[in-house]
Formats: sequence, C-alpha cells, structure tokens
Amino acid sequence: MTNQVYTKRSRALVRRETTAAYLFLLPSLFFFVVFVIYPMIMCIYTSFFDSTMGREDIFIGFTNYVNLFQDEIFLGALKNTTIIVVVSVPAVCAFSLWVASVIYDMKGAACSAFRCIFYLPVVTGSVAVTVVWKWMYNNYYGILNYVGTKTGILDTNINWLGDSRFALWCIILILFTTSVGQPIVLYVSALGNVDNSLVEAAQVDGATRFQLFWKIKWPQIMPTTLYILVITTINSFQCFALIQLLTSGGPQHSTDTIMYYIYYMAFTLYKYGYANAMGVILAIIIAVLSAIQFKLAQSNT
Amino acid sequence: MKKLLALLLVGAMSLGLVACGGSNTSEPAAEASSVAVETEAATTAGTEAEAEITGENPDITAEISLWTYPVGDWGKEDAVKELIAGFNEVYPNITVDVQILDYAEGDKTVTAAIESGNAPDLIFEGPERLVANWGAKGLMVDLSDIWSTDVSAGIYDSIEAACKGTDGKYYEYPVCMTAHCMAINRDLFEAAGALQYIDEETRTWSTEDFQKAVEALVAYGHTNAGAVFCRDQGGDQGTRALVNNLYGGTFTNAEHTEYTANSEENIKALELLKSMEGINFDASLVGGDEIKLFSQGVLGMAFCWNVGAEKGEDGQSAQFDILPMAFPSDGTPALQGGIWGFGIFDNKDANRIEAAKVFIQYMTQDDVDYAKAVETSTYWPVREISIYEGDEIMTEYGKFMQYMGDYYQVVPGWAEARTAWWNMLQKVGGGTDVKTAVEEFVTTANAAAAAATAQ
Amino acid sequence: MKITRNKVYKFISVVIILIFAFLFTFPLYWIITGAFKPYEAINSLTPEWWPSEWVTTHFEKLMSNRKAPLWELHIPFGSFFSENGKPIVFWEGPEAPAAIRWLINTVFMAVTAMLLTCVTAAMAGYALAKKRFVGRTVLFTLIVCAMALPKQVILIPLVREMSDLNLYNTIWSVIFPAVGWPFGVFLIKQFSEGIPGEILESARIDGAGEIKTFINIVFPMIKPGVGALAIFTFINTWNDYFMQLIMLVNSEVWTISLGIAKLQGEYSTDYGLLMAGATMAAIPIITVFIIFQKYFTKGITMGAVKG
Repeated sequence: MTNQVYTKRSRALVRRETTAAYLFLLPSLFFFVVFVIYPMIMCIYTSFFDSTMGREDIFIGFTNYVNLFQDEIFLGALKNTTIIVVVSVPAVCAFSLWVASVIYDMKGAACSAFRCIFYLPVVTGSVAVTVVWKWMYNNYYGILNYVGTKTGILDTNINWLGDSRFALWCIILILFTTSVGQPIVLYVSALGNVDNSLVEAAQVDGATRFQLFWKIKWPQIMPTTLYILVITTINSFQCFALIQLLTSGGPQHSTDTIMYYIYYMAFTLYKYGYANAMGVILAIIIAVLSAIQFKLAQSNT
Repeated sequence: MKKLLALLLVGAMSLGLVACGGSNTSEPAAEASSVAVETEAATTAGTEAEAEITGENPDITAEISLWTYPVGDWGKEDAVKELIAGFNEVYPNITVDVQILDYAEGDKTVTAAIESGNAPDLIFEGPERLVANWGAKGLMVDLSDIWSTDVSAGIYDSIEAACKGTDGKYYEYPVCMTAHCMAINRDLFEAAGALQYIDEETRTWSTEDFQKAVEALVAYGHTNAGAVFCRDQGGDQGTRALVNNLYGGTFTNAEHTEYTANSEENIKALELLKSMEGINFDASLVGGDEIKLFSQGVLGMAFCWNVGAEKGEDGQSAQFDILPMAFPSDGTPALQGGIWGFGIFDNKDANRIEAAKVFIQYMTQDDVDYAKAVETSTYWPVREISIYEGDEIMTEYGKFMQYMGDYYQVVPGWAEARTAWWNMLQKVGGGTDVKTAVEEFVTTANAAAAAATAQ
Repeated sequence: MKITRNKVYKFISVVIILIFAFLFTFPLYWIITGAFKPYEAINSLTPEWWPSEWVTTHFEKLMSNRKAPLWELHIPFGSFFSENGKPIVFWEGPEAPAAIRWLINTVFMAVTAMLLTCVTAAMAGYALAKKRFVGRTVLFTLIVCAMALPKQVILIPLVREMSDLNLYNTIWSVIFPAVGWPFGVFLIKQFSEGIPGEILESARIDGAGEIKTFINIVFPMIKPGVGALAIFTFINTWNDYFMQLIMLVNSEVWTISLGIAKLQGEYSTDYGLLMAGATMAAIPIITVFIIFQKYFTKGITMGAVKG
C-alpha cells in the first residue's frame, strides 16, 4: 500500500521533472534542431543523390561515397586536415601552457600585459589577420622575404604561399597565432586556482620543479586542458578564411582541407550530392573524435 | 504556486518564440504585424496608382535586381547608379537594385543565390557564364525577342554566335567587347635594351623575340620578367592566350566540343615557359594581383591586360609608360575576346522578366543611351555607333581588335574546365611533367564537357 | 646551484616569450601603420618600418567606396507578407559609408548571437546537468558529437533552409546557426555539474519555483561559465567569416570581415585599402577588449568544472 503511493508520487515527480527539464531545454533545442539537426539530416539525404544545379536529383545510392574514396584530392584534403589538427592542437596546448607557467610567476602588470599581447591576434579578427599575413608573405615585397634575405637566412625570395612545400605550414603558423590567446588566459587562471597548500607540502617534501608540476599542478589543471583541447580542435577544423583568402586550396591542392573542398565542390563545380557526402564523412570523423575526447575527459576526472 | 509556475513557463516559452524570428510557430505575432503591413501596402498602392497616371510609361511597375561583375566601371556602384538614374527618368516605376560582384567570389555568390531561389533578375557578364553555364542549365530567359529588333541586326556575327546557346536560344544580349592583350613596361624594356625585340608599330612580336626580351630583362637584373599566375581562375584568359599563341596552338577544336590543350604546340609552349628564367609559375597570384604587380613595376610584363586595366586604377597609377602588346606568336596573334552583356534569370515572374527586358532595351537600343552604357564599360560597342572620337587610348587599343581570335569559352561544362586549367598550371609550376599535366587537364575538361552535354 | 639554474631557465624563458610577444604584436602594428602609409611606401621593395609620412587616403577611399543606409529597421516577419519576399523596412538611417554600416552590422550580429546563446545555453545546460529526464543521455551524446561540426558540412541544406525561412541575405541567417551550435550548452552543462544538489533541494523545500530557483540560485553560480561563453560566442561570431560569406549578398548586410574580404577580391593587392579596412575592423573590438580586459581574463577559470 505505502509502496504503491510512493511509486505514484515518484512517477509524478519524474514527470514533473521531465516536463520542467524540457521546458528549460526548449529554446536551445529549437535552434539546435532547426539549424543543425535538420540541415544535417538533409545533408545525409542528399548525399545519396547526384544533385546539381538546374536539374532534378537522381538517386544513386552509395556511389558518391564510393567515388569519394577514389578521389585523390579528397584523400589529400583529408590528410591536410589531419595534419592541421594533429600539429596545431598539441602545439597550441603545449605552447600556451608553457607561456602561462612563465608569465604566471610575474608581477601582476607584466602578466596581464603578456596575456593581452597573446590575445591580440584573436581580437583583431581572423580576416584582418589573414589579410596582413598575406601581405607579409608576399613573394615580391613581403616583409618576411625582405628580412630573410637581408639577414642572410634565405638565399632568394621564397614564394611562401605559392610553393606547395611551404603553403600549408604558413597557414598553420597563422592559425597558431590566432589560437593561443584564449588557452593562455585559461591556463593562467587555472594555475592561479591550484591548491597552494598541496604545493607547499610538496615543496617541504623536497619535490623538484618538474615533479611539482607533473604530480601536483597538472592533475589540477586537467579540466582546463580538456576544455582547451576541445576549443582548439574546433578552431582548427574551422580554419576556412585562411585557406579561402590565401591559397584557394592550392598550390597543387597542398592546402585543400575538407572544409574548403566541400565549398569548392559545391559552389564552383555544383556537385552538391558529392559535397554532402564529404560533409557526412567529415561529420562522422568529428563526432567520433569528440566522443573520444569526451570519454577521456570523463575517465580523467 | 503551480499556476504561477505554469504562467511563468508559458511566458518564457513565448519569449523563446519571439526570439525565434523566422519560425512559423509565431502565428499571433505574425497576424498582428500583418495588419500593419496591409495598411502600409494600401498606402503604397495609392501612390503607385497616382504614378500610373502621371508616369510616362504606365505599363510596368516592378522592383528588379541587377548584379554586375566588375566590367570596367560597371563594377562601380556610383557609375551604375547613374545609368539607372537615367533609366528611371523614363521608367520611374521600375526600381533597379544593384549589387556589384567581384571575380574572386562572384560565381559562388550567384550559386548560393540560385540554389536558394534568390537569383537576381538581371546579370551583367559574358557568354562563358550566361550562355555556357547558367543558360545551358536552363536557368536563363530566352532573349530572342530583343535580338529580333532592327538594331540587333547590326550586332557583329561573331558576337551573336557567342551569345547563342547550343539550343539556339539567346541567353545574352551583348553590350560591349574587347580584345584581351598583354602589356609591357616600356621604360624597363628600354633600359634593358629589349625594345629592339618588339614591333612598336604593329604591337606584335615573335616567340623568339619574346624569349630574347625576357633574357634581356633578366640580364638587366629584373628577374621577375613575367608571372604565369595560377592561384585561381581570375584572369585565366591571359595565361591561356599566352600558351596558345606561342606556337599557334588552340584551346578547343573549331566546333568547341573538345579541348586541345594537349596538342604538340601547346605542350611545346608550356615547356618553353617553364624553362624560361624570368617567367615564374606563381601559384600565389590571380590575374588581378598580376596586374597590380605589373603596375607597381615589380613585374616587367602583364599577361592579363586590356584597355579596362589601362583606364582603371592600376593603369593610371603606374609610374612608367605602359605599352600594350599582342601575345608573342610566330604567326598572326589570336587574341581572346571579351564579350559582356545582360542575361535574365528565369525567376518565374513574368512582370519582373518584362521589366528586365525593358531595362536591357533602354541600355542597348537607343544610340545615345547605348553609348553611355558602353563608355561605362570602358570597352567597345558590339555594333557600329559613333563613340570614342579622338580618344587616344581607345585608338591605341583599337589596333588589337583585328587580332580577335576564336571565342571558345562556350563549351558546355566550361566552369569546371577552367578550374582544371589553373590546377594544371600549378602542377607544371610545381615540376610535374608538362605532358602528364596537360593530358590530365584534357581528360578532366573533356569529361566535364561530356557530362554537361549529356545533361 | 639549483636556484641559479632556475634563474637561468626563467631568464631564457622570458627572453623567448618577449620574442614571441613581438611576433604576435607585429601583424597588428603592420596593419595600423600600413593603413596610414602612402601608396608608394606600401609597395616599395624595402619596407618602411615606421611611416615616413602619415596619410589618410586609404581611409578616404574606403569611405567613398560604397554607400549604404546607416541602419534599416525591419518589421519583424515582414518578409512573409511583403510581395517580393523582402523585409519591410520602416526606418532607414541616413546614407553613410558602407564600412560604417558593416561595423554596425557586425556589432549587432555578435551581441545578439551572444545574448541569445547565453540565455538559451544557460537554461539548457542547467537542465541537462541537474535534471533527470527521459532522453537525457541521447541528447547529450548528440550535443557532444555535433559540437565540433564545421558549418561547411551543412552548407547547402542550410542555404536552402534559410531561403525557405526568408532569412537568406539577412543578418539572422548568421545569428541563428551560431545560437543553434551546441557548444554553449555543453560548456554550461559542465559548469552546472558543480552546483551542489543539496542547495537545489533545499530551495525546492523552501517552496521556490523552478524559475525562481534558476534565477536566484543557479544563475549566480554558473555566472563565470556564462561569462566565458559570452566572450567565446562574441569572438566566434565576429570571426565566423564562412557563414557571412555564404549568407550575406547585399553590401548593406555585410559584416566588416566580409567587407574586407570582398575588398580583397576587388582590389586584390591594394594593401593600403585592405589595412585601412582591417584597422576599422580591429580597433573597436580591441578597444572593447582593453576596457573589459578584466572580464576577458578573469573569472573564466575552469577549475570548478567537473567533467
């Protein structure tokens, strides 16, 4: 008897909580479903069609996907995207942690001055930064070649963006300068929040600087590191302006990323179904990556 | 308490809805504002009715959009608005909203607009887009009725052929044309002792002279004689003309159905260019960048040149004597023509299509208005009218019109073929064997042509 | 011995960081000085480290380039009723250089997206962290998976959808997808995990309603998270060049980033003009950054985050 009452009440409670939860979620869910989920479903749907401008779509099953994996440019773009993410994410994390640990020890004014400086490229705006780098990279009168040849580091002018050996690295460099600002700020405040009593206790026990860092500080700033990993990965995947404004994916597709290639495929060659199939593949890769990152996050805390 | 909570939640929900903007769920709000709109519509209708009585041309009232690619001053908002103002004096009931596109991103903007059903009514560009691309895809309106006017009979035959699709329909009504040429830095050539290699009278030079001239520039210390720019498609007609002319190759066959870039002449030309010191295959430049570098004196010659460039900012800012030249060739140079005019996107609105046609007729049929439209483009008219009397620059550039070559940019699938061209140049520049690279280009380009024809 | 080694390490570190700091400031310095250098100096083969002469010609060119009304206020949902599907403007500002309008558009876009995201994400993130409900795990998995999704993936469907909603070529077509992006929900959810359940329970026992609890108790606790999200969204939307490129056609609705990119398309290598545009884009946001520096750099501690 009592048990029955309890379940009834509990059920009512669950229902109430569910209703409340969904009402809280409603505004956000609306935007999420309408502007992310629905287009994603449409994207998957169209990827099974030969879809182009000015003609009815033709159902072709998995042909787009089959063709994709025989498309050398797509595979190259996949490789370039991987290089960008694999190089820039660890580099950004390591560099920002190192900078943060150095400037954290400084006096207040110096610390905030450095934080500001490293944040500058972020707030300057990606297009503005890209345009000035384009000028600095210029083959004929860019400042990089000028300084390089004057100081004797370079023998002749290098066509930074026009040479397939350098172009991708030039792009990664710009991406790097626009990515470290936020992580440094986060790390500085994370280091400030490290429990000092633990640090002092370790120092009393004679821990080296290295030990102090890895054993005491690192675990405590782990959540920050994970957050930084997530935002840097997102940023690296989304570096579109750099490629579109600087190289258009060239030379010889050496800076094509999947994001740019989708845009090119859809808007220059009008192969919508094919572009959507690429989008689906990319979405799967990213979803898996995010899930792994998140699992790591959970097991670590 | 529960009631209060429910009320609050409803409040929060409707707030959320208001924030949703375009959602269809917000009926009540929509209805409320629709009343206001209706009253407003009623008042505008009133004023329109008045205009109908007083206006000179009572027939059409429409609001149309015109997108122009930067063809001379058709790329400047002020200049185009001035032309529209003239149009509105006669047709006050047709509002024309103008948008200027650029060659770097314009095509993609139009693609997005077409895909989202927001294509402009009028567009100002050349047959390679209006006819070979959008026209072939069935997106454009047939302009045969304007073409049937007496005035249209005067349009040069070669131009007419380019404006007609493979289905025999006219998708472009031309306004102006030019011959794309190249240009050299005369001061630099003089200093380097290279003037001897060009014929200043006819503005032609042989392939051997071209080689010697470049050698002279390099020997003089100007190692950036010229650049085969290939970052993207902008200005690619220049690189095509350069390659085709050197040994008399062609870009397509005479029927415009197949690409011939892998012909012996073209391979020889590309190999020559690749081997020349002073000619860089530069994958960081598009045509516009090349012109700029030339006018700044960095490059000794420009392959992406025409009278518009001379009259434009770049030509005017140059601190040296610019000498327009035909492309080096052993025979008669064959210059790539540029043809620009109007096309109408089929937006399924008879009224707007009609208004757009009225606009085209205004700009092209009456000689006085037509001259203004042509002058704005900085190029030449497509039929005989008196224009540019005593204009020195136009006379100078007029020399090149006789060298006008075949207008081949009407092959189906052109949009894809041209992207393959600069990708091919990048490969050659990067060290890929010329033969392999051109074969790949021809395969891709022909496949694109075949696919487009099948469609 | 140990102390000296430590000092040497510190000294070297500081030197290296100073070098990096120089490299990070240089592009901005180059933008601002470049905007004021005369044409010849910009294109000279030997760069001018400090402008020998300060000119404003590039700004004059930028200002005279295009014109647009300074603002245009639309009737909400007007495009559904107007005959041509375009928004109905009821208040148009005076004609002004388009670059200024772009700046206004950008600020409007970034601020609106920021506010909408913060409100919706704060509510949703809290519910996701602290409520037990059917479909919670599924929803959260979906959010995690969609978080890093680049917008290029859904490019074509999104363009078509925006057109169906009559939002194409309006600033809302950039704002709404930014709000729909689930990163904010994820961030706030992580923050909200740190709210002790007892506090919520005691509030409930005290008879506080859901809304009251959220506003009075939850919100103050997740404020740092919302602050972080606000900054992140603001900067991301400001820099969300791709969506702007795809969705915004008419020069009246461009943003400043898009404006500069388009100038680049038109004037290719006129770096003076481009730098003038870049200066206009950078200066306001840098000013905001310096004024609110404290908020930008303080309080975004993720220490409170429980994964």
